[in-house]
Amino acid sequence: MKEVILEFYKLRHKHLLLMITGFLGVEILWAFMAIAMSISRNPGAGGWEPLLLMLSSMNGLFIPILTAVCVSRICDMEHKGNTWKLLSSLSVKRSRLYFAKFVCAAGFLCYIFLLQTGAIWLFGSVNRFPQPVPFVLLFRSFMGSFLTSLVVAALQQWISLAVKNQAFALCLGMAGGFLGLAADLFPEGIRRIFIWSYFTGLSPVVQTYTGETMIFHIRKAVEILPLMGVAAVMGVLLFWLGNMHISYKDI
Amino acid sequence: MLKRCVSAEGLKLKHSHIWILMMILPVISVLIGCGNFYMNQGVLRKEWYSLWSQVGLFYGEFFFPVLIAILCAMISRLEHFNKNWNLVMTAPVPVSSIYLAKLIVAGILLLFVQLFFFVLYFIGGIISGLALPLPAEVPGWLIRGWIAGVTISSLQLALSLKIRSFAVPVGIGLCSVFFGLGLYVLKVGMFFPHSLLTIGMGVLSQESMGSSGRQLLFISVNLLYLIIISLGAIHRMKKEDVTA
Repeated sequence: MKEVILEFYKLRHKHLLLMITGFLGVEILWAFMAIAMSISRNPGAGGWEPLLLMLSSMNGLFIPILTAVCVSRICDMEHKGNTWKLLSSLSVKRSRLYFAKFVCAAGFLCYIFLLQTGAIWLFGSVNRFPQPVPFVLLFRSFMGSFLTSLVVAALQQWISLAVKNQAFALCLGMAGGFLGLAADLFPEGIRRIFIWSYFTGLSPVVQTYTGETMIFHIRKAVEILPLMGVAAVMGVLLFWLGNMHISYKDI
Repeated sequence: MLKRCVSAEGLKLKHSHIWILMMILPVISVLIGCGNFYMNQGVLRKEWYSLWSQVGLFYGEFFFPVLIAILCAMISRLEHFNKNWNLVMTAPVPVSSIYLAKLIVAGILLLFVQLFFFVLYFIGGIISGLALPLPAEVPGWLIRGWIAGVTISSLQLALSLKIRSFAVPVGIGLCSVFFGLGLYVLKVGMFFPHSLLTIGMGVLSQESMGSSGRQLLFISVNLLYLIIISLGAIHRMKKEDVTA
């Protein structure tokens, strides 16, 4: 616990919270503008389902990059200040330090999705959507996005700590963002290899076409559970591999 | 003096594996664009133009501006390490040369990226079964993209020289992409560097640069931004103390 608190302490003057809030603000603003335009053109188009689906798709693009930036900031301070050596000389296992950094990143990611869920709720209430607030859908959307972002964070942390030059970690985040955006163009089998595609993959809402009409369909939780299991296994594996590599790596 | 500064910048980038980054992002954007074009050939019937709309959308709208941000952060990265700012600022060279050398190196690297992107676009078209000739507009799109890229570089360099973090200027660059896209949609794209790239490369509308008047306006606005941002960055470097 002490290690986690210290990670947050080290970030106290980095304005990380402000930065991720601003970054998330751009995403939310973009999504809400698109939905508001859609509602103004067709008043019947408003609803919780299109809003949740829109944000899931936008998360596929934004969150990998936001995660890369956030994790890079948490890890880069050790490279910049040459403090990883110093931390390793403490009587704390390197794996615990690695875990503390991950928990710290997870805290920021949790904040991001809580804020996003709150913004969705607010937008729906302000626009007086006819349906009541779908708390279960909001919770499922939160869980899907949060789980996927944790797996992405595990991968990013490994790269950010293993490679001093953060350009590679950010490049991976960038590539991940675009794979997340374009994932739905790939066949199902290929899509599931890339963790960034799970932002839309774990969304509780999907869209289907009947002729030229677009229909929003709510998936049952049991339909998504196997995919959540796959994501969780990928996350554990990536975290474990990264932890092993960084813990035993010569500094 | 400037020439020496440029060669020093080149030396600093040696062994940085910057070429990997310069190649990865165009390759991904062309792969995604070509894949999308290949699967939707029934709808996308304007051959090379349709292919450009697919690969250009991913590359010009998202990958290229972020690649510029990453390159600029990488060019400024060494200065933020090991109190190197003190060394750089006490070197017997004008401060303007330090900034301009970085900008020139960024410009050269972006030129290579644009050429590499063109080669990939050409190969992608041939593999997709498109017959020659290439559209006459392609050189214009590439050159205007490069000009707008240099303008964005000046802005990203100014940010990367000021901000010690590697990731923050890249994040700001990405937010600017969406801000630029918004301005483009509102039809005031000529007044923001990131939307100038969208217009110049013809990624959303390939007919947006038809008249010579618009081309002149495009170049003038780019030059104006380049001069203002560069002067501002050099002024800041001269007046503000460095944080080593």
